[in-house]
Amino acid sequence: MRDLAFIAFLLAFFAMGFKRPFLLVLVYVYIDIVSPQRLTYLLLNSVPISLIAVALAVGGWILADDKRDTRVGGRQVLIVLLLLYCWGTTIAADFPAEAKEKWDWVWKALAFAAFLPLTLRTRVRIEALLLFMILAASSIIVVGGIKTIASGGGGYGQLNLMVDNNSGLYEGSTISAVAIAIIPIIIWFMSHGTIFKPDWRVKSYCLALVFACLLIPVGTSTRTGLLCIGLLALLSIRNVKRKVAYLAMLGVLGVAAIPFLPSTFTSRMNTIKTYDADESASTRLAVWQWTIEYAKTHPFGGGFNAYLGNRIRYDLKTAPGTTGPASAAPATPKVEVDKARAYHSAYFEMLGEQGYPGLALWLAINLIGIVRMEIVRRRYRDPDGEFAWAGPLAAALQSGHIVYLLGAAFIAIAFQPFIYMLIGAQIGLDTYLSRKRSEQSFRPMRRSTAPSPA
Amino acid sequence: MIDNLALGLSHGLMMLAAFLLLKRPDLDREPSPHDAPEKKRAPVEKPRRDA
Repeated sequence: MRDLAFIAFLLAFFAMGFKRPFLLVLVYVYIDIVSPQRLTYLLLNSVPISLIAVALAVGGWILADDKRDTRVGGRQVLIVLLLLYCWGTTIAADFPAEAKEKWDWVWKALAFAAFLPLTLRTRVRIEALLLFMILAASSIIVVGGIKTIASGGGGYGQLNLMVDNNSGLYEGSTISAVAIAIIPIIIWFMSHGTIFKPDWRVKSYCLALVFACLLIPVGTSTRTGLLCIGLLALLSIRNVKRKVAYLAMLGVLGVAAIPFLPSTFTSRMNTIKTYDADESASTRLAVWQWTIEYAKTHPFGGGFNAYLGNRIRYDLKTAPGTTGPASAAPATPKVEVDKARAYHSAYFEMLGEQGYPGLALWLAINLIGIVRMEIVRRRYRDPDGEFAWAGPLAAALQSGHIVYLLGAAFIAIAFQPFIYMLIGAQIGLDTYLSRKRSEQSFRPMRRSTAPSPA
Repeated sequence: MIDNLALGLSHGLMMLAAFLLLKRPDLDREPSPHDAPEKKRAPVEKPRRDA
């Protein structure tokens, strides 16, 4: 039954795409985020719908879209360079078969990120892209939010998000970082949306969705998610007028929320303090150390999944109070040996897999985004100007991006396609506004010859 | 049950958004000062055809 509903939805969506080719881009965004082929048991998982969607989206752009005054952002070039560089490291990878497996999805994410801004030629398109990213992610977030309330939290790795293979956005830590990163964009829709006019229904839905987003780190008991919430609260200080009142309100809300948090969540969050007694945190530190050493001998990276070659030893301190009768004894070190431990950090993922040049490219793509959005945010600050929506949107995209960069410190999500779409939206906004600026400087010349209003 | 509810809600909203986008002429084209005023003013019926 669900299969049929998905097929009907996709067919209708594709059909609309033939009328308005830009919708085909949105079809691909939807398929990439929701992966309907993984939610169904028959039919869809035997058809390469993702490939069909991307072929139609690119074909639609080539054949039908207006390409006058197409601008290419500097970061699109960097993304293409990163793509080519990753291709090179994949050929020379330590583990060619495993590297190729990751390359198979990474190149699509990068290529789509480089293509996406070319299609974002109007304000409505930028908005539509962000709307579909949020709605598609909401199909996972709403499930997670309701289940968290219903069950009182599933504990780490327990929340059932419909798909059990723990990949893409369905992975607990990833969805909790992404859910927090999109909150500023959801809030932007509450005052600047034009597809769904921000009336009381849209605002209530947005608030409910923000609440569901905040519940995802609780439901999945991910420590990274909690850090992301903290960072987002700090970042939003600059957008509020009464800063002291806002801080006080945050404090009260935070304290008031504690009794409602499930014990699985609070007990796991307490492990942030005793990170050296925690296997997950200790292996991270050991893997990061290993990666730094590895990069000394492999400055150009070991190709995707190079972590498979690591063998690490790390000291695990026994936390006081966790060893039963001997709990009064001081913490004693215990040596653990492990191999093929994943990076658990996008920064080290880039360093180990793509070496220093890859890390530099990746950092450039991300940091330039933060800087560019800051420039746009300041330039379009005027709340009464023609582009009053652009400044707050740049601020929202920037905040989401900063939250992602914090989450990425603890999760290996350097190539998460969702984030590349966010970067694509940033580039699209930037090139759109620079096109508009050049049109405005063109206008006075036109007026001198044709005095008709623009 | 919860899965289907959440999927139904998000997919319903996406369908509605796609439908609303079909009716937005400014999805594909925004007025630009590069448009020659006399020539480009005429094909106003172009967006109407889609609506």
